[in-house]
Amino acid sequence: MASTACFVIVSKNDIPIYEAEVGSAPKKEDLAHQHQFILHAALDVVQDLAWTTNAMFLRSVDRFSDLVVSVYDSVVHTRFMLLHDSRSDDGIKSFFQEVHELYIKIFLNPLYLPGSRITSSHFDTKVRALARKYL
Amino acid sequence: MEDYPEELRMTPVSLVSIVGCPELHPSISAALSSQQPPMNTLALPDFSKASILARSGKARDPLAPPQAPAGILKKDWLLKHRTRVPAAVAALFRADQVSGDPAQWLQACSDLENLKSAIQGKNTKLVVVLVQAQASDELSEDVTVALRKRAEIDSRHMIVLVEQDETEWSRSLSKLKNVFAELCSAFYKEEGRRIKARIEKRNFSSVELSIRYCFKVAVYAEFRRDWPEALKFYEEGVRVLREMIGTSTRLPPTQRLVEIKAVAEQFHFKISTLLLHAGKVVEAILWFRKHIRSYERVVGTPEVAFLHWEWFSRQFLVFGELIETTAATVPDTLSPRFGTADNALTEWEFQPAYYYQLAATYLREKRYAIECSSSVANLTTEASGIPESVMPSVYVGQYVRLFEQGDTVSVLPLSDTEYTSYALSEAERFQDSYEIIALFRKAYESFQSLGATRMASACSRGMAIEYYAAGDFSNAKQLFDGVAGLYRQEGWTTLLWENLGYLRECSRKLNFPKDFISYSLEMAALPLFSGSGEENRENKIKSGPGGSPTISRRENIQQEVINVLKRKQAPDGTNDEFDNAMEETTHLDIDQISPLRMVLTASVAFHDQSVKPGSPLLISVSLLSHLPSPVVVDQLEVQFNQSDCNFVVHSAQEDSPPLDSNLHDQVVQATSLTLFTNKWMRLTREIKSGQSGKLECLSVKATINKHLVICCHAESPASMEDFPLWKFEDHVETLPTKDNVLAFSGQKLIQVEEPDAQVDLVLNSAGSALVGEIFIVPATILSKGHAVHSGELKINLVDAKGGGLLMSPREAEESESHDVELLGVSTVDGKELKEEVDSIRKIQYSFGVVSVPTLSEGDSWSCKLEIKWHRAKSVMLYVSLGYSLGSTEEEALLRLNVHRSLQIEGQIPLLVTHQLLRPFRREPLLLSEIRSLGGDDKKCSLAMNESNMFIVNARNCTEVPLRLHSMTIEPDDDGKQLCSVQQVSGISNGHAVIAPSEEYKGIFSVNPRASSSNFHLGDICLNWSRDSSLGEDQETHVIMKQRLPEEIKYSLVDSQNFVFSGAHNHAAFILPKSEHIVSHKLVPLGSGSQQLPRITITSVRYSAALTPSTSAATVFVYPSEPKFNLETSCSTSDECVS
Repeated sequence: MASTACFVIVSKNDIPIYEAEVGSAPKKEDLAHQHQFILHAALDVVQDLAWTTNAMFLRSVDRFSDLVVSVYDSVVHTRFMLLHDSRSDDGIKSFFQEVHELYIKIFLNPLYLPGSRITSSHFDTKVRALARKYL
Repeated sequence: MEDYPEELRMTPVSLVSIVGCPELHPSISAALSSQQPPMNTLALPDFSKASILARSGKARDPLAPPQAPAGILKKDWLLKHRTRVPAAVAALFRADQVSGDPAQWLQACSDLENLKSAIQGKNTKLVVVLVQAQASDELSEDVTVALRKRAEIDSRHMIVLVEQDETEWSRSLSKLKNVFAELCSAFYKEEGRRIKARIEKRNFSSVELSIRYCFKVAVYAEFRRDWPEALKFYEEGVRVLREMIGTSTRLPPTQRLVEIKAVAEQFHFKISTLLLHAGKVVEAILWFRKHIRSYERVVGTPEVAFLHWEWFSRQFLVFGELIETTAATVPDTLSPRFGTADNALTEWEFQPAYYYQLAATYLREKRYAIECSSSVANLTTEASGIPESVMPSVYVGQYVRLFEQGDTVSVLPLSDTEYTSYALSEAERFQDSYEIIALFRKAYESFQSLGATRMASACSRGMAIEYYAAGDFSNAKQLFDGVAGLYRQEGWTTLLWENLGYLRECSRKLNFPKDFISYSLEMAALPLFSGSGEENRENKIKSGPGGSPTISRRENIQQEVINVLKRKQAPDGTNDEFDNAMEETTHLDIDQISPLRMVLTASVAFHDQSVKPGSPLLISVSLLSHLPSPVVVDQLEVQFNQSDCNFVVHSAQEDSPPLDSNLHDQVVQATSLTLFTNKWMRLTREIKSGQSGKLECLSVKATINKHLVICCHAESPASMEDFPLWKFEDHVETLPTKDNVLAFSGQKLIQVEEPDAQVDLVLNSAGSALVGEIFIVPATILSKGHAVHSGELKINLVDAKGGGLLMSPREAEESESHDVELLGVSTVDGKELKEEVDSIRKIQYSFGVVSVPTLSEGDSWSCKLEIKWHRAKSVMLYVSLGYSLGSTEEEALLRLNVHRSLQIEGQIPLLVTHQLLRPFRREPLLLSEIRSLGGDDKKCSLAMNESNMFIVNARNCTEVPLRLHSMTIEPDDDGKQLCSVQQVSGISNGHAVIAPSEEYKGIFSVNPRASSSNFHLGDICLNWSRDSSLGEDQETHVIMKQRLPEEIKYSLVDSQNFVFSGAHNHAAFILPKSEHIVSHKLVPLGSGSQQLPRITITSVRYSAALTPSTSAATVFVYPSEPKFNLETSCSTSDECVS
């Protein structure tokens, strides 16, 4: 498992609707803050990149020292962004794909308003379990 | 990059030396440096200076054991090779120096010997150059051979320069250049090979030497432009250097690390330059990444961490500058998809701004480290003090202390503690903030031009934090404000939180209480993800002055605002902040786009859509706050565009009576005005509607803690936007009002209608109008409750079938005539309104405006509208009365209107036809002639000099009787001469009355006096008017008409109660004014009230039927009498049908 990993789902208006620190490193508030900062800055690249390819998995789009930002372009321009320091592309891809499935389930809930923050504890638990499995 | 010595920055250039003949030196060195590749020239004017070429250092005893080197690289080694160690030396002799005088020859020989001894022990090559004035000055073979022998050189290295002849000169010079190039290449190759052999044989005592050899080999390779080899050995050197970190023990750990990094920096710089100049951008970036990765974690002890970060930041800065100067672009061959397997780089890594931004980030890291180190070091340095006269040593990355004792100056090594305090004192002298800001600004501008707003704002935030750290709060606030805008828009609350924390502190420092309050409230109202988080010092530094985003922190911040507000009136005056800047009350304005909308939102809905003036109406005011703690509102003021409707709600807790006694405000007491987080507080009030027009709720002012007034713009529930930041999956969307319909359709404005007009407008009309007459429509204004001031009556005539205008388009073009025309308006007393001077009067064909005199209550006024129809047409008459209730300006603005309309048909009154009766036909029957004449309807031939009967029929087409005053034929000029017309039967006693659908016949005798083929008799003129007296005469008229016998048929239907004798069906003729009796014999079959057989009489001419009513055909039959009752019935007398 990666020592540092910060996972964020960004809605199509660039508003984060889900955030989780999924790294195994001890949690520090200031780092979470730094991670969000990197992820936010990476949105610039994502916006450009998303139109150049049909693939959903955009791989690593940005790096900040040894931290890499990987992006997965999900339904209706919802973006999964993962800040991580591990190198296993396949693990990240699998992680994204499974989270994508979870997100689709949330999305298909008729009571879910697209663009609102995901606070379901079930979703959170599942995402963290996936992170342990793949990252 | 500018800090690096020049020899490091420039590509090494071969060095050659020329000795003697100083007058030729400029031209020779110019020629050599223009060579490709260029050569630098070390020009020595005469042979006495040749000693500087000699090895300067002391000769090492070859038998002494090899000493461990004191450092890795000597600082001046590269410089030495670029400026002092030539690859070849040329001794220049003039031809006459060697050929003539033996003393001169001897001198030349000894000079040559000196030179040879100076370069002895080195591989430096010797070239002898003989300078001749002309090509013809042949030197004897012996001299050249002797000289060559003396110099011990190959004949190829003996060159003759011809000074005078231009072509010879350049030819011989190029020969010299070639020789030099060849010798340089050989020299550097040989030197390189010599050192390389040591590496290959591992013939060195320490790892430092190995690195030094690598460097030297690479530099020699660079001298001869063998880039791949240079690169190979630089990389080898770096590899060995990296391995050395853990193993070397020569220096104390801190200084060792510093030295290694300094050397690594040089190596890395060389490699990057080589790669970038070769256009291998991707390789350079990958190399840089590797370099960074291998040194990132080599921080050293915490006290000297700042040294590491400074060095680390410099790596980024220098690499960024390198990329910028070489104008590296993304190679075309690279896959445009970044981050894939075949392109591991990201887009930004090609941008210098990326490196500047990182350099700034790490420089900031250095600043933090210095802050940490200084606080620790302050305690220790007081005892030991900062060592004096510390200077860089001869080795790269090393520092020594100069120790003077008497006249002797010796160099002493430093201990790590001494070095640390020295480095710290040096580092503290620099203001890193300005450099960090400059770097961030550079990156910011670059990213901005690339359109990467988020990266740019990240840089902008970096600048702001630096300004904040440097104490420049106004600049910091301005930058933070800009960045906060982006985070607000994109809803990155954690980042926004940090930003607002800085802004809050900035406004505290700048003494802006209003900003402080608004930033604090916004922070307190932010939705946050994380719920935990402990405060510690490190957090404080990294996550800014706002602290970590937690619920408890939000509550604290809200409490702080309240404290700031309360401390204002604290008597002890402990308040040190905002004491002079605080105003009596702080006003915050929140509109629909304000970020403070989360703090307080007001939604206002009227329960109705429109209301009569003065009548009560219900209004719902709902307030929502996202602040974490409950907010107690002292007073709520709701403001409307009509200030009469404003009202104030006071919280019951407030004991003091309201100070601002706006008399027109309605003051209401409410039990408690407390806003709980995320819950709507709903108030429903009844207010009186104001004047007619729009009544809109403008704002809701909430007074909190007596000194904070938050003015919220009122929002309609129907058009209210949700809070993008407060959209949570599990949040139930709450509605501002309990009534769902109101929550989705409620509006903050209501239409107050006009008051009902209490004036009646009556239009009378006497049926349809007739074409040609002046039709009068009386209009009456009756005041029932309002006085009429400055009244105005507008009359409009519109085609009832649509189309608006009362004339056909064709006619409109041709003439001014109208089908229906409004002629005028007259008052009842007959006085024309024209006479009134100030009255408005404007009558056009279909439109008129007439002013109405001032009427008091209960009065009435009437006028007559005169309308003339020129054509039969149906017309809508619209009359509207506009008036105001008083004559004052205020009242005059409010106008009431009454509208009435009436449809009036226009009819043609009389249909006139005519026919001619001729006495008899006297002319022969000439069919063709008659036909030709009779072909035209309008024309018929009359007998000349005979009286022809001319009958004119005028048929009344209307439903009212008309009075015909005269019927004449007015002959025109032709007619008067050609014939005479006499009226045979005229209208008796002044006029004739024509009932509806009746005809009047006038008979004329026409006597033509001349024969004419085309003869116009004249015009028929009818003079008529409406018959106002409708009498019974009409009936007699009708009866008079019918002087014909009538044929009738009658039929009897069997009845079950009677049997009868006689025919069932029969017909009879009845003369006028006579009776006809039909008799039948009936035998009743039962007693009681019985129905007689029904008789139906039909008039054949008119096919009209008559059936007597049931009651008339019922008889009562007595039961006791045995005798048959014979009865005659049904005397049908008159079956006149009109």
